[in-house]
Formats: sequence, structure tokens, C-alpha cells
Amino acid sequence: MTDLRCLDELLRAEDGDAGCTAGEEILDAYVELELRGVDPARGYPGTAIHLESCPGCRADHDGLLEAARRFGDAAR
Amino acid sequence: MNRGPHTVPPDRESEQWVEQLRPGHPRRDRAVADLREVLLRVAYHELSRRRGQLGSISGPEFDDLAEQAADDALVNVLTRLDNFRGLSRFTTWAYKFVMFEVSGKVARHTWRRQPPSREELVFEQLPDSQAPHPGDRLEQQEQLSALSAAIRRLTERQREVFVAVALNEVPIDVLAGRLGTNRNAIYKNLFDARRNLRASMVAAGHLVAEKYAA
Repeated sequence: MTDLRCLDELLRAEDGDAGCTAGEEILDAYVELELRGVDPARGYPGTAIHLESCPGCRADHDGLLEAARRFGDAAR
Repeated sequence: MNRGPHTVPPDRESEQWVEQLRPGHPRRDRAVADLREVLLRVAYHELSRRRGQLGSISGPEFDDLAEQAADDALVNVLTRLDNFRGLSRFTTWAYKFVMFEVSGKVARHTWRRQPPSREELVFEQLPDSQAPHPGDRLEQQEQLSALSAAIRRLTERQREVFVAVALNEVPIDVLAGRLGTNRNAIYKNLFDARRNLRASMVAAGHLVAEKYAA
């Protein structure tokens, strides 16, 4: 359950949300920009909005960011 | 490679991966084995990160999930190799498929072990207010009452999705599995439910900011 103080967040439905499918296409590019210190919301504003609201895509994003940081270009 | 407007500089490592993974390349078998090895490491790491959703999964079962995720991600990478546009390093692009496979497999595993029951998904007992002043508490109770009424006015599907995902924190992929649909469709239901609820709360005169409203 959620606290009433979080009501605004609970009902977050922002214009411009790109949705799950659009984000899946460019999630790697989004993460790469973050790793390079570039604000990905400038290039992909709809996905930035979406990641604030979609727990599934946010989990994928967080996992990919961590994996790219941790494993990077794997030594071959 | 077709490069879009938000690209990173091309890197030799990525080009090498793509070249060597193509059918007929003399180093293809080695490259596939190398990629499989790193995808497996990523799968183990991601499964560990999501371990909270997996319950008391045993060692061999955990290993099996990681192996399946790595194998399925590898197949996706190899069949979509021509789709790699160089918007990221090749490895970041490849790791993305591990994330999708892990998401799906964790959801299916969670659903099989403990499917969310409709009866357990409740919203009638919205949380007690922690407001320090009696006046604030009354106002919050009125808001909760309005929210409960607005939830009841949602379509059946919107209500089911909102109550499960937003109020009871059922993972969106687990609910998608139960309802026989996909994440994007569930998210659309969630988005519409949130928008309708926000509109109802605003119309009822409660203190809900309109910053996300259309």
C-alpha cells in the first residue's frame, strides 16, 4: 500500500510518455549516454518520462546501467 | 551501420564483435562462445539483483534460469545482428537482451510459484493518515474516500491493473503473465487508470496537482 503523501506520484501520468516499446528500442543508447555523463532526457525525452512511471522498464534500465558499468566491454 | 542523431562515437571493439559474429567469419565460433560467456555473467548478476522476486529458489534452479536467459539472449543477438545501429557499444546492446530475458523469466517464475490472487489485491484499506493535525487528517480521509470511489469507477481492467501494480506492487510483468498479455498493454491500462483517477480527484476539488494532466 502507499501513503497518501505519495498520491501525486501514485497518479503520475505525464504527457509525452513514450511507452514501453519505444523505450526498449533505444534503452542501450539511453544508458550509454548516461555512462558518458550526457543527460539522456535531451535526446530521448519520452523515454525519460516513461522510466519515471513504468516499474518494469525502470528495472530493466537499472539492470542495464549496472551491467554496462560493471562488465563494460568484456575482455576477450 | 545506420547511425541516429543521439549516437556515441563508433568504437573498434563493437565493430569487431559484429564482424566476427557474422556467419562465415573464421573466428565466429570463438566470438559466439565469448559472447555467451559474458551474457551468462550478466544474467547471473541481474538475477542476483532481482533475487527478492525469486523467493527461495535453489542453486540448480537459479543456475538454470541464468543459463536459459543467456542462451535466449544470445539467440536474439545473433538473429538481430543487422539491427545493431551503433547507438551504443555492442556489449551494452547485447546486455539489453539479457535484461529482457531475465525480466520475462523472473516474472514467469514468480507467477508459477505464487500467482497473485485477485482476492489478495485490495484497495479498500487505503493507508491510515499520519497527519499531525486533526484538520489535515480529516482532509486526507476525504481524499482517500474520493480516491476509493474513483477507483470503483474505473473500467474493470483499469481497476485490476491499478490495484495490482500501483497499490499492491505486483510486478508489471507478473500481472501481464497472469492476464495473458504483455508489459506494454498493462502499462497502457495503468497510464489510463492513473489519468482517469487524477481527473476524478481534480474534479472532486481535492488537492492534486495537475502537472501530469492533459
